Amino acid sequence: MSRPGLLEGVRVVDLSMGWAGPLAARHLADMGADVIKVEGCIRFDWWRGWEATQEWIDDNGAEMSPAFNMVNRNKRDLTLDLSTPEGAGLLLRLVAISDVVVENYSAGVLPKLGLDYPVLAQANPQVVMISMPAFGSDGPWQAYRAYGSTVEQASGLPHQSGEESMPPTMIHVALGDSVGGLNGAAALLTALRARRRTGKGQHLDLSQSECLFPLGIKGILTQSVTGSPPQRLGNRSLEHAPHGVYPCAGDDEWIVIQVRSEAEWKALAAVSGIVGFGDVADRLARQEELDEAVRAFTSAQVAELLMPELQDAGVPAARLAGGLELTTDPHLAARGFWKMMQREHVGELPHPAAPYRVGEAPFDIDRPAPTLGQHNEEVLSEVLGLGAKEIAALAEKGVIGTKPRLP
Amino acid sequence: MSEEAALAGIRVVDAAGSIATGYCGKLFADHGAVVINAEPPEGFGTRRESPFLPAAEPPENSALHAWLSTNKASAVVQSVDDVCALAHDADVVLDDGRFDVEDFVAATPSVVVSTLTWFGRTGPYAHYQGTDGVVQSLIGMVRGIGTEEGPPILPAGCQAQIVGGLAAYIGTLGQVVAREIGNAAGPVRLDTSLFEANLCFTEVGGVGGHRSGRRVRRMGVNRYPPTYPLGIYPCRDGWLGVTALTPSQWKSFCELLHMQEFADVPQYQSAVGRLQDAGMLDPLIHERVRDRSATELFNRGQGARIPLALVPTMEQLFSVDQYVARRAFDEVRPSAHAGFMAPVTPFRLFRTPATRGGDVAALGSMATAAASEAVRRTSA
Repeated sequence: MSRPGLLEGVRVVDLSMGWAGPLAARHLADMGADVIKVEGCIRFDWWRGWEATQEWIDDNGAEMSPAFNMVNRNKRDLTLDLSTPEGAGLLLRLVAISDVVVENYSAGVLPKLGLDYPVLAQANPQVVMISMPAFGSDGPWQAYRAYGSTVEQASGLPHQSGEESMPPTMIHVALGDSVGGLNGAAALLTALRARRRTGKGQHLDLSQSECLFPLGIKGILTQSVTGSPPQRLGNRSLEHAPHGVYPCAGDDEWIVIQVRSEAEWKALAAVSGIVGFGDVADRLARQEELDEAVRAFTSAQVAELLMPELQDAGVPAARLAGGLELTTDPHLAARGFWKMMQREHVGELPHPAAPYRVGEAPFDIDRPAPTLGQHNEEVLSEVLGLGAKEIAALAEKGVIGTKPRLP
Repeated sequence: MSEEAALAGIRVVDAAGSIATGYCGKLFADHGAVVINAEPPEGFGTRRESPFLPAAEPPENSALHAWLSTNKASAVVQSVDDVCALAHDADVVLDDGRFDVEDFVAATPSVVVSTLTWFGRTGPYAHYQGTDGVVQSLIGMVRGIGTEEGPPILPAGCQAQIVGGLAAYIGTLGQVVAREIGNAAGPVRLDTSLFEANLCFTEVGGVGGHRSGRRVRRMGVNRYPPTYPLGIYPCRDGWLGVTALTPSQWKSFCELLHMQEFADVPQYQSAVGRLQDAGMLDPLIHERVRDRSATELFNRGQGARIPLALVPTMEQLFSVDQYVARRAFDEVRPSAHAGFMAPVTPFRLFRTPATRGGDVAALGSMATAAASEAVRRTSA
């Protein structure tokens, strides 16, 4: 098996780092695009490590990051020092024969290198280029720095989750990154389709904080149409009961139960033996009492067993999994979601499938994330037509390399 | 819609009417595709989703449905045959598992039937009841949210469904583009699992758990390892979002809060080292920001290249200067209610921009025959 060839013939130059940009490019790679990741030996992808020391470099620390390895599979890696005329020139030559450029540098970096969109578009008017700054490429915050956590904080979402007694509540260490990555992939495919229709490339702009607005849409619309903010309800609902996270047997074991209809309530009552509650109006009016009854039932149950029992009865319920359980989840295993692959320096790693598939099997993954500069010779010779002596000279000057260097 | 719209000429029929298919279809519609909601006589289920427009009546009173349905048409269908007739010549049918490719292939030989379900079409959970909370619990997200003692907290709203719709848009448009450039042909069913789509948030944690064999314990509200400081702190005039990851950001953060004595502590040059002392450092950070202005700290911090954030309330969100400058919100215009402001498509194509906001069709406002004609290739 191999990757699907949906985007075969599409070449992507991936200048992005961290999570969001590389994830956007990963989706294109998973569909068969030739994604060439371009890093520098000094300015390497910071997701390889952001606290570099010589000891870390000597221990191949740049190759160990699970996060880096997750989002860069199916790609080739080329190192270029873009601050040198040779490196910048080679990038322009690569862009001239590519279809897509992905970048998420801080504002000002590419212009300073002489490699911003107008320059790249001159090299290739048909190129589709996406920039993924945290807050977008215009406006008073355009140059502001952010991580996935920062954009979640700025999106308004923290004022929707949690209980009224809690501070605004974040739900992830870097929520903005993965959502930004998905939107980046969506934007690139949209622009590729537009290019097919118009014959013209274009520049795309994505604000990672605005990408989170659709996730908070219910709260945003509540404010917009009622003039009042949404209530922060914790785990409760204004419309349904029981609706919450309940303790199970064991240390920090929990199950979520969200009853949405009378049929589901009857099913839960039958499994749990809970009696004495009426229709949804009654249950909403007696939520404390109801939650206590549900807790009394679940606290003696094993979450892993209670989930299928409730689900088989028609009740929406799920154990609260942790990272430890994801690679052993029976459903994901049955669907072949994780593919074990050997990766140099780290051994065998599970790789997640794309979330869409044709037929029963997921899209295959051809190769794990590349090591730094792993495909220097391959790309420089096969794609750019350089000879062995030219490549050796680039290595001699430090324009390319296969090990990080401290500045 | 302009001839130059990115997705002009693509025809999509939403035969499911879930929030996930609605969002997937919205991205197509806002970028210029013809999208028709094929609704049962009572309307899609999204019409019964809150929040509701105060001055409108069912089935036209859901603000969520209106936002999901900008720039789409609505036709009422009575049967599967009606849907199949409507989808004649469609490029894409959005489905929730009720249809087979064979239902459409006679009339539309290269149709993409894009099926969005909570757990995918196969596997032991395929028949399970899904909710946002169920999916977010199974992916390992919920376990980390909330106080150490629990219970863990569910994220608000319909986030998992939006993420699923977005992932399905990527997969579906990939199939359409592949057909147009000659890399694929013939009918296909695309199977998108909302569960798997949402694993994008936690796949790194899954690999971490696989390698370490250990479970990471919940550490409290807004405390997510390995990053520290990370959180939202009350200031005199609002909330300040803090993230300091690199040694230089930590040093600048210490200077900003007049905590220089901690700037060069060797242990604090790594996020993990700082996290170990969060119990001591956090009260200090609280004390140093509580009497200061969040806006001033935000701007000064960003000036020193520290990724700080203002944390706007829902009331403030619409007037944040950055979002106003970028026109991040625009008017959605329902058929039976005054317009309201809502987020626009979050990615911008400068040459072929999406429609900002847009009109919302009333239930069945397009006759089925007219809708069918709109989908037919000859009408393009």
